[in-house]
Amino acid sequence: MIRGIWDRETVALILVAALAPVAVLWLAEARGAGAVRLVSFVLTIGILHLLFMLARAQPPSAAALVTALALAVFTPEGLGPVQLLLGIAFGVVTAELAFGGWGRNILNPATVALAFLGFGFPAAPWPDVAVQVGWAALPALAFGVLAGVMPGGVVAGAALALGAASALGLPLGPAVPALLAGLALLVCDPVASASTPLGRWLNGALFGGLAAAFLAGWDGAHPVQIVVSAALLAALAAPLLDEIAIALWLYRRRRRLG
Amino acid sequence: MLAPAPGEALRVEMLVAEGDRVAQGEPILRLRHFPDCALTAPMPAQVARVDLAPGHRLAAITLFREAGAGRFEHARGAAADDAAALRGFLQGAGVWRAIRSRPFGRVPGPGEAPRAIVVMGFDTRPGAPDPRRALAGREEAFEAGLAALARLTDGPVFLCQDRGAPLAGAADGRVRIVRNAAIHPWGMAGFQVHRLCPAAPGRPVWDIDAEDAAGIGDLLATGLVPETRLVALSGPALRAGRLVRCQPGADLRSLVRAHVVPGPARILSGSALDGREARWLGPRDRQVTVLGGAPPRPARHWFVAALDRAARPLPLIPTAALDQALGRALPAMPFLRALAAGDEETLARLGGLSLLPEDLALADYVTAAEPKLSRQFAALLDRIAAEETG
Repeated sequence: MIRGIWDRETVALILVAALAPVAVLWLAEARGAGAVRLVSFVLTIGILHLLFMLARAQPPSAAALVTALALAVFTPEGLGPVQLLLGIAFGVVTAELAFGGWGRNILNPATVALAFLGFGFPAAPWPDVAVQVGWAALPALAFGVLAGVMPGGVVAGAALALGAASALGLPLGPAVPALLAGLALLVCDPVASASTPLGRWLNGALFGGLAAAFLAGWDGAHPVQIVVSAALLAALAAPLLDEIAIALWLYRRRRRLG
Repeated sequence: MLAPAPGEALRVEMLVAEGDRVAQGEPILRLRHFPDCALTAPMPAQVARVDLAPGHRLAAITLFREAGAGRFEHARGAAADDAAALRGFLQGAGVWRAIRSRPFGRVPGPGEAPRAIVVMGFDTRPGAPDPRRALAGREEAFEAGLAALARLTDGPVFLCQDRGAPLAGAADGRVRIVRNAAIHPWGMAGFQVHRLCPAAPGRPVWDIDAEDAAGIGDLLATGLVPETRLVALSGPALRAGRLVRCQPGADLRSLVRAHVVPGPARILSGSALDGREARWLGPRDRQVTVLGGAPPRPARHWFVAALDRAARPLPLIPTAALDQALGRALPAMPFLRALAAGDEETLARLGGLSLLPEDLALADYVTAAEPKLSRQFAALLDRIAAEETG
């Protein structure tokens, strides 16, 4: 009879709050141009949400702010407004709005938009993620996991895989800020990542493992490009990882209970 | 007041007429499809009114208390020795209906043999009474009740309790004590059944409250149906929470009238999470929650309201809160996605048949889901039940 508060918009607002340190430090570094970029991305995604609200009665979501921040931090530089609009519209519409809005999507719209821009305009240089933005991702991840809106298993799995890669002698150093920011902004999306406990660990480990493999073997790739590719592939594999986790769970249960 | 549980259709044969005096524990009616099973009077009373819907379906029977009518003693016969006689005795005395059979949460059929029986010795719903208080001083009856339950099944009897002192000595090797941290929702029988011995069609698992098990022990010792149960009154609209002993089917308004703060109030039979607004105490409920009057609904713009309605069922976001609301006992999101999609097979595979709608009340509370998950689950269970039986 009494109702709680953890509906979609509450979760979206807590995510926004969790990512506030990343936004603040990124804005401090990117200054005016960054602010213009962030505001224009928010407006673009907001207009797309409004269009889908009018055309398909889908309530807009505050998760648009998270998408806009991720795009602002990671979008390749030197792209014109038409190219940016094309990439953002592709990501937000095909990955999120066409599925019915945030909460029903299977991929993170920012990841898809970034992958599209990366494939579509390979000449545009990827941005460098400042060290302080990478550090700001740590409190963001901690707050998100503590508040329960970011999957802790994903963070743990990624830390494990990257830690193992580092222990094996892979130099992570220059890619660490991009990896941390990518983990907070792209991979730890509660909707698009795996949703079973074991699946989350696998999801995080897959992201970390792919990123490490790309760092080791992909010559000439920019850290952000590596993070976006690893995030996209890990998100695509998330349903499979969930299935594996459920099959294992069912097998263990059958053995224990008959 | 005697009434069927919500959603339950009882075709009955009356044994008394309006105006008759009945002793406490005297059979009032029999079920048509299950004639051994009786419903008994919860108190010495005069039958004030019998409401039957077409087809002899029980709507409600109203009783007025009449102190002089005494208590009815059921003949025990061979119930102490013979399992079949024990079944007949429990059915005739009306306490059979305290047992619930999963899947589907029905009263067990006449010849049903459960795989296991789960006795709930703790309750974690907000404001629930502590079964230890209900059992205080009745330890022997409780042991006898557990022994009687063990005779109804070939499988184990699980006594689920908190981490405190054991509620019963394991005198009989059949009774296994299962200790749990007292965290909601682990005090719901569904999650215990899910963990200990999943129910499936053809492999039913019964659950019963510890106080009712003690009642069975008392009944076997004396032949008298227990008169009262321990009920907790709680809620923000009460001046103070309190515990009372009252009859099943008691009038909730007179029960709370002296303790409620002035102003409008809603009386729920059950907890704040899974209760229903009711006038009478439900057949299985052990708590009464009194909430303040319905909060004034903020005026919403018609466009926002229409958007909300268009988006139903609202999407669920996998959060730690949602995992916790399902006890981390099963993969929460795959389970809820199967529920939203009406996928019966996946739901059954993930253990949904051990649960009942009340077990999803916490998930409803946590996610503010619309339509309610418990209501969707009830509809899906009904559909599975119709397929299984039809």
